[in-house]
Amino acid sequence: MTLSALNADVIVDQLNAGDLTATDCVQHFLDRIQTHNADLNAFISVSDTALEQAETIDKRRKAGESLGCLAGLPVAVKDGICVSGQPTTAGSKMLENFSAPYDATIVERLKSAGAIVIGKTNMDEFAMGSSTENSYFGSTTNPWATDRVPGGSSGGSAACVAGRLAPVAIGSDTGGSIRQPASFCGITGLKPTYGRVSRYGLIAFASSLDQIGPMTRTAKESALLMSVIAGFDPRDSTSSKEHVSDALTSLETPLKGIRIGVCRDHLHEGLHWEVKTKINDAISVFKQLGANIEEIELPHSNSAVAAYYIIAPCEASSNLARYDGVRYSFRAQANDLEEMYRNTRGQGFGDEVKQRIILGTYALSSGYYEAYYLKASKVRRLIKQDYDEAFQKVDLILGPTTPTPAFKLGQHTQDPLAMYLADIFTVSANLAGIPAMSVPVEPSSTGLPIGLQLQGRAFEENTLLRAAHQFQNETHWHMTSPAEPWRTQS
Amino acid sequence: MPDTPEQPIVNQVARLARIHLDEQQLKSSGEKLEQILGFVSQLEQIELPKDVIPFFGAIESVNAIRDDQLQTSVPREKILDNAPESDGEFYLVPPVFKPTDS
Repeated sequence: MTLSALNADVIVDQLNAGDLTATDCVQHFLDRIQTHNADLNAFISVSDTALEQAETIDKRRKAGESLGCLAGLPVAVKDGICVSGQPTTAGSKMLENFSAPYDATIVERLKSAGAIVIGKTNMDEFAMGSSTENSYFGSTTNPWATDRVPGGSSGGSAACVAGRLAPVAIGSDTGGSIRQPASFCGITGLKPTYGRVSRYGLIAFASSLDQIGPMTRTAKESALLMSVIAGFDPRDSTSSKEHVSDALTSLETPLKGIRIGVCRDHLHEGLHWEVKTKINDAISVFKQLGANIEEIELPHSNSAVAAYYIIAPCEASSNLARYDGVRYSFRAQANDLEEMYRNTRGQGFGDEVKQRIILGTYALSSGYYEAYYLKASKVRRLIKQDYDEAFQKVDLILGPTTPTPAFKLGQHTQDPLAMYLADIFTVSANLAGIPAMSVPVEPSSTGLPIGLQLQGRAFEENTLLRAAHQFQNETHWHMTSPAEPWRTQS
Repeated sequence: MPDTPEQPIVNQVARLARIHLDEQQLKSSGEKLEQILGFVSQLEQIELPKDVIPFFGAIESVNAIRDDQLQTSVPREKILDNAPESDGEFYLVPPVFKPTDS
């Protein structure tokens, strides 16, 4: 079995056993990036110190030093997350020449555990998008069908794991940006509970919704990464002090008797028929595992996309005010300060980012605040209450991650609403702050991946990971990889 | 070219947001804004229970308070490395006021 076919936990075991060196491991994935990134455009930049770091780990291991639980494991990190001394662009021209002055907390933790950041992955500009077509650095393609999108905004992280250019990756999720690309690329992705993983060093899009999480092939790998990145951080004022228990130890706890809710409205007519079929097949697998399936209602979930597309742009319009030409690398020519602001923001931001800032500024402006932001925030309360009630009855909620498999490149670029509706099943978890993950089920008849979404109570990521892991014990969809050379699927 | 209904508003909002948009961008942005506002207007149909409290943050935690402690920060030079223009100590910007004839 080649190195790229191995899961992260197996790679770590081999490194620990001395059967594999970190240098060989990193070199292998650097070679794959060199060969395949021209097709996938999954990485915006590749680390020029990764090999050096690997050599250091090999020397320390040889010297008998105690090493962290990920020592020597290459990890790809979304380019909206700061890695000290590395380019950190958030997919924007605005930050094209920005070099992060410090490590994000999750990067610090990964490095402390011995992981090696192999490169920074492509994304929709400032994480605004569902296809990675909004990147200033060009679209990422889906390794399962290179004429299709990988999803977004963490499309680079999803494509690089699916295409085995890195064993595991880190993404961020504001309205589905980990789960939707995980679904489109046939991998596993977890958006943790809001506050579970520090946002320090994550370039902010919508601060009350943003959350960093793992994007991996298996639930077990996600559990492994969560054991490193989760936990309180005093540098993030919304970081939770809630106790973190090790997900790895509970993965095999039987699911017998677990109550799983299914919202029948989410398996409606608008759903792609194959998505519906495969999700129903997955429900049967959970039944075989001993789960009790119950019907639930989430009556306000139909309004989630509308509420989200008020709240997120409002927060973004405020967060992105900092890009004014003074501090962050890009400045347009101007004769005075005001003109510098306007020209810098006009030239430095892409169309979608400008559109969302316009929308957010409009919705927050005098006379509109109550009708838009306040109303959306009240609807957000109702959405949260729906979940609170549902979780009185059930332990998990199961449904599709996305209404369709991956769409074609360019298919929705001129129609913002069609693009926004790709998030219809994912945004609610961000609004409510609960954890949610996407897990691959049987692909479509044309070989396109389909994702199952599991949502859980706040701070119960371990229940999600346990359910996903045992589903993966019974299925093999997560272990299939796209054929090389990559194919189109017109 | 006739204005779309939202174009004058977009012009005003773009000015507030300090974003320069050319004529074509203003038109396109106005059309998209109108389309999105049409979509989100569905929120008007939702009847809110009396006294529903808006939910602004996913965690309703109390404010984070901690003792003052002196800690090292990222060195100024490192921060200024990303400045488009600096004198090594401060950010430099174009004139705040427009040059006037004297």
